[in-house]
Amino acid sequence: MNYIWHILVMISIYAVLAASLNLVAGYTGLLSLCHAAFYGIGAYATTLLMMQMGLGFFPAMALAVPLTALLSLLIAIPSLRLRGDYFVLATLGFQIIVFSLLYNCVRLTRGPYGIPGIPIPSLFGVPVDTVFKYFLFSTTISTGALAILWLLIRSPFGRLLRAVRDDEVAAAALGKNVPAVKTMAFALGAGLAAIPGAMFAGYMRYIDPTSFTVGETIFILSAVVIGGAGSFWGPLVGSAFLVALPEALRLIQIPDAVAANLRQVTYGLLLVVLMRIRPRGIMGEYEFK
Amino acid sequence: MGEVALECRGLRKSFGGVHAVDGLDLSFESGTVTALVGPNGAGKTTLFHLICGALRCDNGDVLYRGRRINGLPPWATARLGIGRLFQDVRVFGSLTVLENLLVGFPDQEGEAPLVALLGRGRVSRREADHKVKALQWLGLVGLADRSSALAGSLSFGQQKLLAIARLLAGGADVLLLDEPTAGVHPTLVDRLLTVIRRLAGEGRTVILIEHNTSVVLGVADWVYFLDEGQVASFGLPAEVLADPSVRAAFAGLGGRRQ
Ligand SMILES: Nc1ncnc2c1ncn2[C@@H]1O[C@H](COP(=O)(O)OP(=O)(O)OP(=O)(O)O)[C@@H](O)[C@H]1O
Ligand SMILES: [Mg+2]
Repeated sequence: MNYIWHILVMISIYAVLAASLNLVAGYTGLLSLCHAAFYGIGAYATTLLMMQMGLGFFPAMALAVPLTALLSLLIAIPSLRLRGDYFVLATLGFQIIVFSLLYNCVRLTRGPYGIPGIPIPSLFGVPVDTVFKYFLFSTTISTGALAILWLLIRSPFGRLLRAVRDDEVAAAALGKNVPAVKTMAFALGAGLAAIPGAMFAGYMRYIDPTSFTVGETIFILSAVVIGGAGSFWGPLVGSAFLVALPEALRLIQIPDAVAANLRQVTYGLLLVVLMRIRPRGIMGEYEFK
Repeated sequence: MGEVALECRGLRKSFGGVHAVDGLDLSFESGTVTALVGPNGAGKTTLFHLICGALRCDNGDVLYRGRRINGLPPWATARLGIGRLFQDVRVFGSLTVLENLLVGFPDQEGEAPLVALLGRGRVSRREADHKVKALQWLGLVGLADRSSALAGSLSFGQQKLLAIARLLAGGADVLLLDEPTAGVHPTLVDRLLTVIRRLAGEGRTVILIEHNTSVVLGVADWVYFLDEGQVASFGLPAEVLADPSVRAAFAGLGGRRQ
């Protein structure tokens, strides 16, 4: 049974990751390749605030969110002025830099050894100490984060993001400060990615840099694209699908060593096939150009 | 005579060796409709780019109500009240017709994410109010029954009307219209001209680029005839259009436009 709860915890984490990237990539049309960096910054910030400053899980997460959003401005402000392709490359560069900082700032992050012994989160004094409890805990947090995203997307702000995505020249001619709008969307997406970072750290109780690689960014992006960029439900469907897929492969009794490779191949194939038959994803609204 | 709303002084812009705008001195009074006519490549669209800040001029000044506005980015000139209809229309294709209009309203608090989250009651009251107004504008251009269609699915002519309605919803004071009637169904052209006259009647300044002689005669108070980036003639529509060289330029346009 724990096994099912575990999968559902992972889905709840990836749902928020994919949905927050969707705000940036699907709704605003900014193809960002550093989402795992924000996920990682959120995870490390929460962990360090808990372990070094003695904060509880929620205060630590509540600080990690604005901190991650602020750090995202380091890349957003210089690179959002660049043309599309250069922006994509700049975010890829940021992803690589953040990974290498996590890996090499040994005194802060313990580098490749990772940080073990992250305290168990607790809610109203009750420790969240079983997989089932964590499932309830993480689903609640992720529902909250998704509700915020839902409200943003349905608001005039969300409409403005889609307008900017469709035609930024026209948006500017209507008096919209396009660089400011993009920066805000980017920072919000980054800040929201810190929430699953905290959820992941509190669940695993151990983090190391390998969870926050370029590969992870691609995985999150795949969940967005497969589910359907620019639709609210798309990334949720996409992440449920991608998280459950390897487990399904395991159920049909493929040995683990093979399954790990097969997983990569399957993702790749799936992306190619899906982009052929449904370029807008399963729930799709918006097609990357 | 109204006061001068917009003025261009010695405006120049070249692309490589092409002098697209080559020393233009123009002025536009509020409450009037001015037509800019001229052959293809005369620099009309480039002039609009310069006025709204999409392009930077090499030389000269653009003055809005006496204030120098060259160097301001397009969103800033738009906020001052300079609205623009693009020659290539530019609707938000994946938004509905109604949403296109709703984006057009200026100063929306709900476009700030925090207000969108925390001031939801206020924002939705404002939205409801905007929706009513938006539907009125859509009615005016004959698109009210298409309000929930995706803008990208409309015909070119309908997209143009939508872009005009979106511009009107924004309440701009100076309207730069790049070929508003091209591609619009003849039955709607008349309605469009009535709207343009009414806007001028309200004291707004309308500047339109137009290739159709009867539209110019029907709606414009003044005409600038531009050629190779310069003012070739200026005056009342009937006078300017009577000029044989102007007529020749218009005749040359006939076969080219679809
Ligand atoms: N971005 C650009 N780069 C290079 N040349 C340009 C650019 N924009 C315009 N031009 C040139 O400047 C001149 C004026 O172009 P513009 O588009 O302003 O003409 P127009 O009067 O609007 O013509 P039309 O009636 O065809 O719309 C043309 O020779 C055009 O080729
Ligand atoms: Mg033109």
